[in-house]
Amino acid sequence: MATTITKTETLVGKSIRRREDPRLITGTATYVDDIQMPGMHHACILRSPHGAARIRSIDIQAASAHPGVVAVFTGKDVAAVGPVPCGASLPGLRVPAHSILAKDRVYFVGHPVAVVVATDRYVAADAIDLIEVDYEPLQAVADPEKALAAGAPAVHPEWPDNIAFTYHQEGGDTEKAFKEAEVVVKQRIISQRLIPTAMETRGVVAEYHGAEKSLILHSSTQIPHLMRTLVALMLGLPENHLRVITPEVGGGFGSKLNVYAEEALMCFVAMKIGKPVKWIESRRENFQCTTHGRGHVDYYEVAAKRDGTVLGLRLKLIQDLGAYHQLLTPAIPTLSVLMMPGLYKFRNVNADIVGVFTNCVPTDAYRGAGRPEATHGIERMMDLLAAELKMDPAELRLKNFIGNDEFPYQTATGLSYDSGNYAAPLKKALDLADYHNFRIEQKQAKASGRLLGIGISTYGEICAFGPSPATPAGGWESATVKIDPSGKVTVMTGTSPHGQGEETTFAQIAADELGVPIDDIIVIHGDTAIVQYGIGTFGSRGTAVGGPALYFALQELKKKVRKFGEMLLESSDVTFVGGHCVHNKTGKSVSLAQIAGASYRAMKLPPDTTPGMVATYFWEPPNFAFPFGAHIVITEVDPDTGHVEIKRYIAVDDCGNIINPLLVAGQVHGGVVQGLGQALWEQAVYDDNGQLVTGELTDYAIPKASMIPWIESSHTTTPSPVNPLGVKGVGEAGTIGCSPAVVNSVVDALSHLGVRHIDMPLTPEKLWNLVHPGGQA
Amino acid sequence: MISQNFEYSAPNNLNEALALLAGGNAKVLAGGMSLIPLMKLRLAAPDHLVDLSRVADLKSIREEAGSIRIGAMTTHWEIESSPLLRAKSPLLAVAASNIGDVQVRNMGTIGGSIAHADPAADYPASLLALEAKVRIVSAKGERTLGIVEFLVDALTTALDPGEIVREIIVPVEAAGTGVSYQKMVQPASGFAIVGAAARVQKSGGKVSLVRVGMTGLAGKAFRATGVENLLAGTGGTAADVQKAAAVVADGIDANADLHASAAYRRQMAKVYTARALTQALSRAS
Amino acid sequence: MKIGGSYTLPVARERAYEVLQDPEVLARCMPGTDHLAKIGPDEYEMKMKMVISAVQGLFAGKVRIADQKPPEQFRLLVEGSGKVGFLKGDGLLTLVSSEASTEVRYEGEVQVGGVIAGVGQRLLDTTAKLVIRKFFEKLTEFVGEASQPAAG
Repeated sequence: MATTITKTETLVGKSIRRREDPRLITGTATYVDDIQMPGMHHACILRSPHGAARIRSIDIQAASAHPGVVAVFTGKDVAAVGPVPCGASLPGLRVPAHSILAKDRVYFVGHPVAVVVATDRYVAADAIDLIEVDYEPLQAVADPEKALAAGAPAVHPEWPDNIAFTYHQEGGDTEKAFKEAEVVVKQRIISQRLIPTAMETRGVVAEYHGAEKSLILHSSTQIPHLMRTLVALMLGLPENHLRVITPEVGGGFGSKLNVYAEEALMCFVAMKIGKPVKWIESRRENFQCTTHGRGHVDYYEVAAKRDGTVLGLRLKLIQDLGAYHQLLTPAIPTLSVLMMPGLYKFRNVNADIVGVFTNCVPTDAYRGAGRPEATHGIERMMDLLAAELKMDPAELRLKNFIGNDEFPYQTATGLSYDSGNYAAPLKKALDLADYHNFRIEQKQAKASGRLLGIGISTYGEICAFGPSPATPAGGWESATVKIDPSGKVTVMTGTSPHGQGEETTFAQIAADELGVPIDDIIVIHGDTAIVQYGIGTFGSRGTAVGGPALYFALQELKKKVRKFGEMLLESSDVTFVGGHCVHNKTGKSVSLAQIAGASYRAMKLPPDTTPGMVATYFWEPPNFAFPFGAHIVITEVDPDTGHVEIKRYIAVDDCGNIINPLLVAGQVHGGVVQGLGQALWEQAVYDDNGQLVTGELTDYAIPKASMIPWIESSHTTTPSPVNPLGVKGVGEAGTIGCSPAVVNSVVDALSHLGVRHIDMPLTPEKLWNLVHPGGQA
Repeated sequence: MISQNFEYSAPNNLNEALALLAGGNAKVLAGGMSLIPLMKLRLAAPDHLVDLSRVADLKSIREEAGSIRIGAMTTHWEIESSPLLRAKSPLLAVAASNIGDVQVRNMGTIGGSIAHADPAADYPASLLALEAKVRIVSAKGERTLGIVEFLVDALTTALDPGEIVREIIVPVEAAGTGVSYQKMVQPASGFAIVGAAARVQKSGGKVSLVRVGMTGLAGKAFRATGVENLLAGTGGTAADVQKAAAVVADGIDANADLHASAAYRRQMAKVYTARALTQALSRAS
Repeated sequence: MKIGGSYTLPVARERAYEVLQDPEVLARCMPGTDHLAKIGPDEYEMKMKMVISAVQGLFAGKVRIADQKPPEQFRLLVEGSGKVGFLKGDGLLTLVSSEASTEVRYEGEVQVGGVIAGVGQRLLDTTAKLVIRKFFEKLTEFVGEASQPAAG
């Protein structure tokens, strides 16, 4: 049977539509709240209405007696359950005891106080209203700088200074750099607290199988395997008795890169009542008790020469931690410090972080996690320096970029940037913006009273988390590829996609490597009983770390395929192409199905080869990957109202090689939208008593489709040498590049009025007041 | 986000509905775009909901003797897209198109909106500019009020227990009337920070009729008669508009919230009033 | 939240001062209040049922009158809590004579917590003003009635 087998058309690099979407857009996907089980009970959680209070007493009698209520638990009932884990370790870190239900004190609005378990959700909610808690309200503090002031209320009485940790990092000789500086610019820059607002709130279903003493935990999470390890630890359960299943997850943005009280609490409840129990977070709870992002007050200083050469960078970073440490809370600002030099040749850097407790929900990773703050800081500072030197901000950036011949580049913060061509995306973006002519147009516009501005942001980010020594829980990723006896392929990834589309991109990679149609491949993730251990999806690591793991698993498998192919064709002169092993001389071939069938039937085995067609690979990345890019935003401020119109949004991103341009575009768009949210509308506001006053979507302004400008997205391509796919990661790039470009643009529009800096969000009232000092219209 | 128990009735006709409401304890469900969220937050816990969505008598837009009568259960979308309103009394259709989002406009009704009397709702500004009337019914009878009398205070209307809005009556516009609704949108909720509705007629080069309704600025929507008086009889020049709009917030105790201070709201009231007047004048002939 | 404003009562200052401190009158005029029970000198306990549009909330709380300077000034301290949240207010009332009537100026701070603080931002200021307005309207009505000669 001599047939011509040619390599099928490759899929990597093509805009394949997401294979996930049909079930998502037709409403047939299964989220946690879609899970129904016989005998399933429902839990509802009573939460603190106070920012800080002592609990004098809790009366659960009426709630317990309410028809349909099967159990009510409070802090004293769950004493045996271990604390909510903090995975970050910093020298001298103060870690408050974080029990899954409050004991004698509450520390933030939303702090869980009691749980009611009932036969249905409505009964549980009714019974919550019957619990009487006698609180003694205490003075709260919600602002990190106020918390640091002398005499501030202590969030945790044992640490009256409210300082959870201080952290110092330096490189070079900053003192000398500032001494030699011809110009120094300073600015206080706020990256405000944000609420991640995943479309699907969190949810948990726990089922206990008493006979086997085993638990199944369904949770809307980004990290099923880590959750299994950590929740088993909290419960004192052997890890192999706990199975975590991650059904469809409707977005996370870092807020589900965590282990929360509710996961262990529902497991505890399921074990106590011997029935499955479900808890679904309301939007209001999501705002109150799922981690927030950002929360920086940064004090920057840049030293430079008159010609624009940057010399040194100082940062004092005040991080609002909230009342507790969630999984990575204290580690997030350290990422800001790592990336503080941006794309520039700062040889002397000096940073101090103060991590501050406040009576607010903890902050933690949120799309970009530390890098948007760093990029916002350095990109604002570059514009402030340009203004001080009366230099063009594009020119100043081009002057200070790390050169193409300097990679791998060792930064003053200890990183090794993998590859880059930083001028390329900026030049492309400047061309797209017709920068030179725009400046002429702008001059004319300003002369006629229009407030037209252009803003540049050139960002670099640290992605592909990451080498294990640099991460708290291992930074590798895993993949298993199996070929069934019929030749169908199953990919199991240790990542946990929740919107990233790896069921598509990983199938593209596998289809190309195995030469089979994409429809022959399925991708499985998020069930710890099926999939080998993995780390999860966050930090733009899905494709950049999970992808190479899959690539190497495929190489292992292909070796075995070849061996069986050679055996079946009785020759070593064989090529594996187009899903077949082909004899190079005779043209005889055997298909993958024949090969896989032979491997399972195992009538005969190649030398030193085991039956079956499965390969697993755990890939340890040798370094991070560092994507970069340039965003340019043209804005016009309405002088009568202060309203910002985004006239053009140009994004040129370099995320290395692209597996699927359609999905990359989706990531850039979504990222930019979240960046615009921070720049223009969003802010989590706590009042002085620790009340979250933006407690619902009626007051917390997330972007809506109608508020979003056209995004002109394009790319340059600088492959990463860190992994065989040459990919860098793109999940957070849009968010990181966006906010400084918008603020720089609006500051540029108002610069002739003496405006140097504006903190986000750029609300119309804030801008109106800048245009009309003293409130004069 | 789970409401308390309540009884639910969905009467098929107006008499049945009015009989159910006569006791005074039931709460009307007229789209539910404000009521349902309040119930889910347990800020509202009515014992009995009477859903008017099946009462066909309350769902119509028809012209009668120089007026257009809009049934209380007409949705925002039906108002926004009504060819009759678009042709003969467009201001209300424009106001409807500014409400919330598509989902809200498909569910929410004009009767439900005005009976809730949210101080930042879109309709009242236009209804004031249109000098609309509200026809009210109950098991005991019916009465008709001017919109000014209907809107008593923030979140407070002239409706007595057992009464519902039956229809809203707006005039068929005289040829050459120019209208506009200009709104500064609160980005989270979509409600108006301020919203100004203007309606003008010109005759012999002078402004012969001017009506201005304002929402979002104060505890309740109001007619800006000060602005109207200053502009009436002028040539309607840009300077006339600015001068008139400048007094819109005079003597008003302006609202303040997270999204806009009282001082800023007052400023924006002037800007949006001027914009509404300018556009309305440009459309008047 | 800061509150402030003024309202004119159609009575002389002494009379205005008197009614503003009379628990019977306050109970009658404060929206949704049944009665005030004296629990100490110038301190009263109360239950309120606030109904604003579809929203209703039951509050239990206390009112205290302090720093009296008759007939010019006093402080009113209010606190209440219920399932929908809690509030704490501290207001200074200043009475200024103007001919036969009295201008009552008020200025103070209200702290709000719980559900109403978290979801009601947009309407808090409006609602606070509404409640104060309703109180003074009722008070005006009351002093009007009280000054009417009893019908024979």
